[in-house]
Formats: sequence, structure tokens, C-alpha cells
Amino acid sequence: MGGECCPPQQWRRRPRAGASSRSRFRQRRCPRPRWRRPAAARGAGGRRAGPGMGNALGPAAPRAPRRGEPLGSPGSFDELHRQCKEVFPQQMEGVKLIVTKTLSSHFQVTHTVHMSTLGPSSYHFNATFVGDRQLGPTEAFPTLIGDMDNSGSLNAQVLHLVAERIRTKAVFQTHQTKFVTWQFDGEYRGDDCTATLTLGNPDLLGESVILVAHFLQSITSRLVLGGEMVYHRRPGEEGAILTLAGKYTALKWVATLNVGYGGAHASYYHRANEQVQVGVELEANTRLQDTTFAFGYQLNLPQANMVFRGLLDSNWSVGGVLEKKLPPLPVTLALGAFLNHWKNRFHCGFSVIVG
Amino acid sequence: LSDQVSFIGTVAAAGGPGAAPQGLRGWLRRAYRFATDRNDFRRNLLVNLGLFAAGVWVARNLTDIDLMAPQPVP
Repeated sequence: MGGECCPPQQWRRRPRAGASSRSRFRQRRCPRPRWRRPAAARGAGGRRAGPGMGNALGPAAPRAPRRGEPLGSPGSFDELHRQCKEVFPQQMEGVKLIVTKTLSSHFQVTHTVHMSTLGPSSYHFNATFVGDRQLGPTEAFPTLIGDMDNSGSLNAQVLHLVAERIRTKAVFQTHQTKFVTWQFDGEYRGDDCTATLTLGNPDLLGESVILVAHFLQSITSRLVLGGEMVYHRRPGEEGAILTLAGKYTALKWVATLNVGYGGAHASYYHRANEQVQVGVELEANTRLQDTTFAFGYQLNLPQANMVFRGLLDSNWSVGGVLEKKLPPLPVTLALGAFLNHWKNRFHCGFSVIVG
Repeated sequence: LSDQVSFIGTVAAAGGPGAAPQGLRGWLRRAYRFATDRNDFRRNLLVNLGLFAAGVWVARNLTDIDLMAPQPVP
């Protein structure tokens, strides 16, 4: 009995009337579980316990492996549409020179000179420090990023891993001498869920704050559901907006949808093959009473060291950016052009990236 | 009274076949105005939804292209 589960109860017929008063209904009961030292502490020869009886009669045998695929972490809420957005080309105008220098395995600096045709030209200095704790190819902690331009405006970020599953982020933005943004994030990443709390521009004296809460849950290995709640408060005004989000990831495509009171955002990413990726996006804003559609594609030709991204949207804009690496030099040349047929505007640009 | 009733019946009969094309023309006119009104939010949303669906269809069916395949020899 020690090595078995409780045997099934044995039932007998009820005694007939007039029969012996001694009940013939017997029920074999399991003995009360008693705690015993684990077999390893007891030494060899201890009784082997059955499944689920670890506490009563010794250590439990290992359970059978759980059926089904592991759910996987759903990632961050801000990265729901990332794959689709990366297909679209970035707007380019004027001439840009970007020089990146890696000073050590932890420290990197970047100089950016932008000669603009639409606005004032600028120079940016960027410094990045990356710590020892690396969780993935693009995730390392702590990470400190600072970017300052020629007018004295600063953009700084600090990312830190407080615990195994808890990461924090602080963002500061200044426009010359005035603080524009100060934001603090706390994120919990579980095995199949992510929860984030963001505090935006908290001002105790001015009694204003923006609070953003995100939650994502992996329902299956392919389906992620979640939501976002934005609460803002200012003297004399406060409000909240709830947005629901869903993401379905298949082998070759990803579909994502955000729906809320303020509007909707749908995106579809399709990886046709190793060379061609396509992204389709739809955004509807009920407050601005505006909707936009965009179609983008990316062509990768590693044999030619070339990447081309094209764009077509409902604002009658077409554009494209061609990036070409120039081996053996560590140089990338990018050429871009965008044309808005409706507003009859055209702008083009090129950039040289060194390092 | 019978003359008035017959007169009303004649007027109703005359407006019947003419009323249907009037209604259809009015519906078509309203549909054309809806389809071409760029300031209408619902119209823009429907148009962009249709474009989104067309874009997804193109992405799923027309993009499996091998860019490095040799050109066909004429």
C-alpha cells in the first residue's frame, strides 16, 4: 500500500432488514498521509512512492511531460506591430552622415551630421553604454543611451534589469534647457504574460500625470491577447481610454489588431520567402476623423549586399529607400525618394553610414 | 365621389412606374456622392478597409517571387 495510490473503495450490498447489526458496508479508507523524510535522506531501500504521493510516502516520481507546445513570452506591447513597421522605409531628405565608433565591448559613440533641405541642419552626438548581463542578441542590461544635438536638447534612456523577470526604464527628453518628457516604466515578463506600468510626466505640484498600463497574455503558442489602459489627469480634467489588442502569429505571417475608443490599428506582415517581405497597415482615428492605409515591401538581396524598401499609401504618396553595403569598407550608402502626388511634393535624400 | 376615386386611382397608377426610377436614381446619386466625398469618415474607412483587404490578398498571393532567378530566354 505504501507504494500505491489509495485503492478504490470497495462497496458491498446494504444489509437486509433484520440482518446482523454489524454493518457489512465497509469502506477501505486511505490512511492519513504522514510526512516522511525524502528517500534520499532516508537512504537506499526506502519505499518508492507513486505519483501524487510525494508528501505521504516519499518523493514523488517525476510527472509526465506536459502536453502541448510551450506558450512563449508575448513580448512588449509596444512591439506588437514592430515586424510590419520595419518593412516600411524611413522618410529621407537632405544629406546625412553617420559615423559610429565602437570604443570597447561596452561603449559606442555615434556622430550624425544632417544637412536638411526642409529645416535647419543639425549635429547629434550619441553615446551608448551596454552592461554585462545579456539576455538576447539585442537585449543587454544595464543600457544607458544619451543623445544630444547642437542646440543642447537631450534625449536619454536608462534600461535596467532589477530582477530576473522585472525590468525598468527611465526616459528623459529636454528641449534646450526645459524638460519636455520624463517617463518611468516597470515591466514584468513572465513565461506567458507581460505586464507593464508606465508613469508619464508625473507632476506632484501641478497634480498631473499620465498612467499607462499594458497587459499581454499568450493564449496559445500563436495567439496573444491583451489590452492597454491610458489614464491622464490634469487640473480640471481627467480621462481614461481602453484599447484591446490581439496578435496571431503563423509560420509565414503575423496579423495584429488594436481596437479602442480612440480608433483602430490593424497590421499584416507576410514573409513570402527569404527575399521578399510585405507589410500592410490600416489606421483609423475617431478623434481626428481620419483613416490611412499603407502598403510596404522589403526586398533583401544579400548576394548583392542590397536592401530595398518601398511604400505606397492612401495619402497618394509613393517612396522607396535603397541601402547598399560597400564591402570591404564598413560603409553603407542609402538613397531615398518620396513623392506625394496629391500635394505635388517631392523630396529625396541620401545618407552615408560608416561603422 | 366615384369620379374622385377613379381620378385618385389614375394619379396613383401614373406615379407608380415613374416613382421606381426616381427612387433608384436618387439612391444612385446618393451612393455616388458618398463614394466621392473625401471628407466623409465612414466613406474613407470603408475605402481603406477595402484597400487593406486587397493589400493582404496581394501579400498572400502575388509576392512569392524569386528575385535571383535567371531571366527567361526568349
